[in-house]
Amino acid sequence: MSVLETQAQKVRDSAKKLLADATAQTVIGYADEGVDGLCVPVFITDVKDVGRLVWNRRSVPNLASYLIGRKGKTAIVAKPCDARAVVNLIVENQIKRDDVHIIGMDCPGMTDAAGAALHACETCQVNTSPVFDERIENAEVKPVSPEKRDAERGLDENLARFTKEMEKCILCFSCRQACYGCYCQTCFMDRGVPDWHPESPDMGAKMLYHLGRAMHLAGRCVECGACENACASGVDVRYLIREVTGFVKELYGYDTGLSLEDQPAMLTYQPDDREVGFLGGEAHG
Amino acid sequence: MSQTNTADFTPTIVAFLCNWCSYAGADLAGTGRQQYPPSIRVVRVPCSGRINPIYILKALVDGADGVMVSGCHPGDCHYLAGNYYARRRFTVLKKLLTVAGVNPDRVHFTWVSASEGARFAQVVTDVTDKVRALGESEYKSRRGGERA
Repeated sequence: MSVLETQAQKVRDSAKKLLADATAQTVIGYADEGVDGLCVPVFITDVKDVGRLVWNRRSVPNLASYLIGRKGKTAIVAKPCDARAVVNLIVENQIKRDDVHIIGMDCPGMTDAAGAALHACETCQVNTSPVFDERIENAEVKPVSPEKRDAERGLDENLARFTKEMEKCILCFSCRQACYGCYCQTCFMDRGVPDWHPESPDMGAKMLYHLGRAMHLAGRCVECGACENACASGVDVRYLIREVTGFVKELYGYDTGLSLEDQPAMLTYQPDDREVGFLGGEAHG
Repeated sequence: MSQTNTADFTPTIVAFLCNWCSYAGADLAGTGRQQYPPSIRVVRVPCSGRINPIYILKALVDGADGVMVSGCHPGDCHYLAGNYYARRRFTVLKKLLTVAGVNPDRVHFTWVSASEGARFAQVVTDVTDKVRALGESEYKSRRGGERA
């Protein structure tokens, strides 16, 4: 039995136990019932359905956002990035720690239908869950590679890259729908008053949407790559968010979803915060 | 891009001023007969912490040549901590704008107190000079058409 199949069996055993002794009313996990082997989310409430749960290299979706608004205790099969998302939802008071049971999976990285590693998984920095109720180990999961940041570019190159990515975008908002962090009841892009969303999907609208969303996700992105996986136009949706999240980490020493105690960087302050980019202050590096 | 990059070009700068310090500072600049370029369009907000970064993006996208944001000095916020939160937001926003290829000299953040009328005039002069040097906003042309 492969290591992944052993992990999957442990998930099923665990789910059976959690449901049998009523520790959890629902187990959210993956079922191999999608197209091209892509796993789909499945909500198991009955012990007899536990067999539907699987775990493989195509367990791609981030399930964390399904926890918001649920009643009763829910167990979730969480990849490390999903576990970080769950932690961040707890820290942001969207869900209660006591209402969730985290089944933390050691993750070998997910692949696309052709078997190539997903973009987000190639640069993964956290491949074991930072917070969990039970951990399902995988001895084959290797230590992460050192963090790779995009090289600093000149302003012209930045603009060229931004324009290139934005030209592909059709403003379908799939990235927002897929994102665990986009849980606003009404997104600013859906509001009519004020009318943030211009009528035509032109460069201005795309700039407003992508920069606005990047601001909302600064210091909140868990790098699960759900946005770029959801994108039908092949936009590198995450690159702006990756930059600001790296910047927040560098400036305020905050890394998203690694601890239940840390205050999110944008929800707190220090009186002596650096004034980078202010008039007469230090310049951006 | 810009054909108006000349000394007589007066840029349009949207200035978000907090009610308690910078707006009063602007008032003092007026009553003190301080001279500064007629380039700013003031939006009075209760606090610099009330300024949603999207306002700044919207101003740029809708054709402002520059944006200026000013609040109470850190430690002097009327609501105690609003400008501390704003400071983090603006720091991150400016980094984000740079990454997206917006010239950082189009967006300026500073602190002006109610007693600094002369400083307010100086800040507006400096900001106007910097934005004027960049010429007309390249984002004006990004819009599909004029809006009513």
